[in-house]
Amino acid sequence: MSDTSFDLIVIGAGPGGYVAAIRAAQLGMKACVVEKAHLGGICLNWGCIPTKALLRSAEVFRLMQHADSFGLASPNPAFDLAKVVARSRAVAAQLQAGVKHLLKKNKVTVVEGHGKLAGKGKVAVDNGPTLTAPHIIIATGARARVIPGLEPDGDLVWTYKEAMTPKGFPKSLIVVGSGAIGIEFASFYQALGCQVTVIEMMDRVLPVEDEEISALARKAFEQQDMKILTSASVKGLKKDKDQVTVSVEAGGKTSEIVAQRVLVAVGVSPNIENLGLEESGVKLEKGRINTDAMMRTNVPGIYAIGDVTAPPWLAHKASHEGVICVEAIKGLNPHALHPRSIPGCTYAHPQVASVGLTEKMAREAGHEVKVGRFPAMGNGKAIALGETEGLVKTIFDAKSGELLGAHMIGPEVTEMIQGYCIARTLETTEAELMQTVFPHPTVSEMMHEAVLDAWGRAIHF
Amino acid sequence: MNALPRIFASPLARRLAAEKGLDLASLAGSGPHGRIVKADVESAKAKPVPSAPISGQAEAIPNTTLRKTIAKRLTESKQTIPHFYLSVDLDIDQLLDLREKLNQRAEGFKLSVNDFVIKASAKALRQIPAANASWTEDATLRYADVDIAVAVAAPGGLVTPIIRKADTKTVAQISAEMKALAEKARAGKLMPEDYQGGGFTISNLGMYGIKSFSAIINPPQACILAVGAGEKRPVVKGDQLGIATLCTVTLSVDHRAVDGVVGAEFLAAFKKLIEDPLGLLL
Repeated sequence: MSDTSFDLIVIGAGPGGYVAAIRAAQLGMKACVVEKAHLGGICLNWGCIPTKALLRSAEVFRLMQHADSFGLASPNPAFDLAKVVARSRAVAAQLQAGVKHLLKKNKVTVVEGHGKLAGKGKVAVDNGPTLTAPHIIIATGARARVIPGLEPDGDLVWTYKEAMTPKGFPKSLIVVGSGAIGIEFASFYQALGCQVTVIEMMDRVLPVEDEEISALARKAFEQQDMKILTSASVKGLKKDKDQVTVSVEAGGKTSEIVAQRVLVAVGVSPNIENLGLEESGVKLEKGRINTDAMMRTNVPGIYAIGDVTAPPWLAHKASHEGVICVEAIKGLNPHALHPRSIPGCTYAHPQVASVGLTEKMAREAGHEVKVGRFPAMGNGKAIALGETEGLVKTIFDAKSGELLGAHMIGPEVTEMIQGYCIARTLETTEAELMQTVFPHPTVSEMMHEAVLDAWGRAIHF
Repeated sequence: MNALPRIFASPLARRLAAEKGLDLASLAGSGPHGRIVKADVESAKAKPVPSAPISGQAEAIPNTTLRKTIAKRLTESKQTIPHFYLSVDLDIDQLLDLREKLNQRAEGFKLSVNDFVIKASAKALRQIPAANASWTEDATLRYADVDIAVAVAAPGGLVTPIIRKADTKTVAQISAEMKALAEKARAGKLMPEDYQGGGFTISNLGMYGIKSFSAIINPPQACILAVGAGEKRPVVKGDQLGIATLCTVTLSVDHRAVDGVVGAEFLAAFKKLIEDPLGLLL
């Protein structure tokens, strides 16, 4: 290492860290990222991206099974698990190479190894040089949360990592936790013929989503023969050869469920260990790093972004925080990230996507609301696609016309939610959304109709 | 015409500002490129809106639709109409005598000075039709009828019911009609046809002892006559100092539609009718 002095050092090259480094480089800063595992972080290597590759295989498989309804023939659809997994890994590898290229193109120095704060303006790298910079961003992300009694063993009890690279295809799987990660794997395995049972502590699946959407999702999953237990908690786990028995308490009764594998997907734990945080005096709260809206910690010159800070644990939130953090360092006075304008997506079948307040939250916040709904059954394109399971729901403040929240389930909703995100960012009211011309025929027309419906003006339903 | 710079504001900010009665031009935008966003309107709302400090406690009386309409119309009038003002003193001793006599023999009515003022205004407008007019961008409109609006204080604010074709009505008819309209106005029961239209307005504050005042034109009309109190004042008659009951009236005129000479001609005709009031009975 010829040069160890930078304007900015980012510890962690996930979607928060590498984006922060590139933005810094764009602004003329000499930037460095320190990464101990893979460029792109969990998102790109073990999260968002490879799961989408798996789910794509599941979707094609599902379509093959329904080929007849499209007038096509696909006798005895089958899959080769090793090839499905290999494709997913190849996708991750391709993108990892892409991130490497982007960092190089932007002249960001990449240092491999575990980085650690080592005094003011210093980062020590294991078996490497000590780097210096006036600004240091902690972007170390998070890992699967472990709960006592459900410790993953890499064999029978899985985290997302094993679920993503299974050695064999289990006939049955118990998924503990029905957030986006749990539901996406449940959807993947169920689609390929595994008997999946989802165990959720809350009273509904995808508990951060609007209640109506949660209920529709549950109905759709159960129609695919997925088993779902809500208001249920795991009380014990017994391992045998190639099978696990989980005792579950639900409604005061305890029952036992046997499956070949268990996937634990109960949230994440921020990676705050061995970073020199305590020695540097960085304040933690509930096991994560405390920051202000410009991502500054309590220690001048030390910043934190992404999963190591407050939820939601989403790649796009981390990236945005990285940009805000760097722009604030450069004195560009960026706008703070509005937590209610961060969309959330679940790529199950059917897909779920949302932004802003749920109907219940909006009412509890004291808004007089107008709620619009439009079902996929009323949308021509959805019928043509053969995807008539779905609903778009919009929630407006009745007085100001502010779009408080939008909640969608059905075909391509994860691609469409950005429309409502733009609307929220531009602070459009129902009037501008109503005036917007949506192309026909598209599934997105449901978004228009759901706005019209909030004012009792839906045309096609 | 529209020389004002465009104000960049989100649709939501625009709607919230309109709701709160905030002028967007007075806000600083914190959004991209200085765009005014919701947060800017909300933080402005938290600050006291008036630029001058309000001393002590203030009671907030919510604005009624009528109050808002009055505010909007009068602001627009004062800001966009080039007003000029003409004042004249009227000797009303003869008018008061005539009124007294008529009221003594009257059955079922009691004429007020204002009834004569309405009648005199109407007759004067018939003589000087150029004062019975409205300015528009394309043309100055001259009214065929003489419809006189009269300002009446109603509980929610000022209203201006109309005596239509006042030049064709007797003072007694005008008096009866005015009484009915004023009662309706005070009861808040005026119908749109009672107050919509009119080519000329009279505002009389004489009964409150106001000597003279200048009224704001009631758009789209071109003239409004402000009538002060009748009071005994020293006057010079010939070369002698004497006493007469005088009343000062001031005509506010929209210079776009009516020039100074026309306004003066109207006032001269009006003065003649008031000071020689038997003509009003013809």
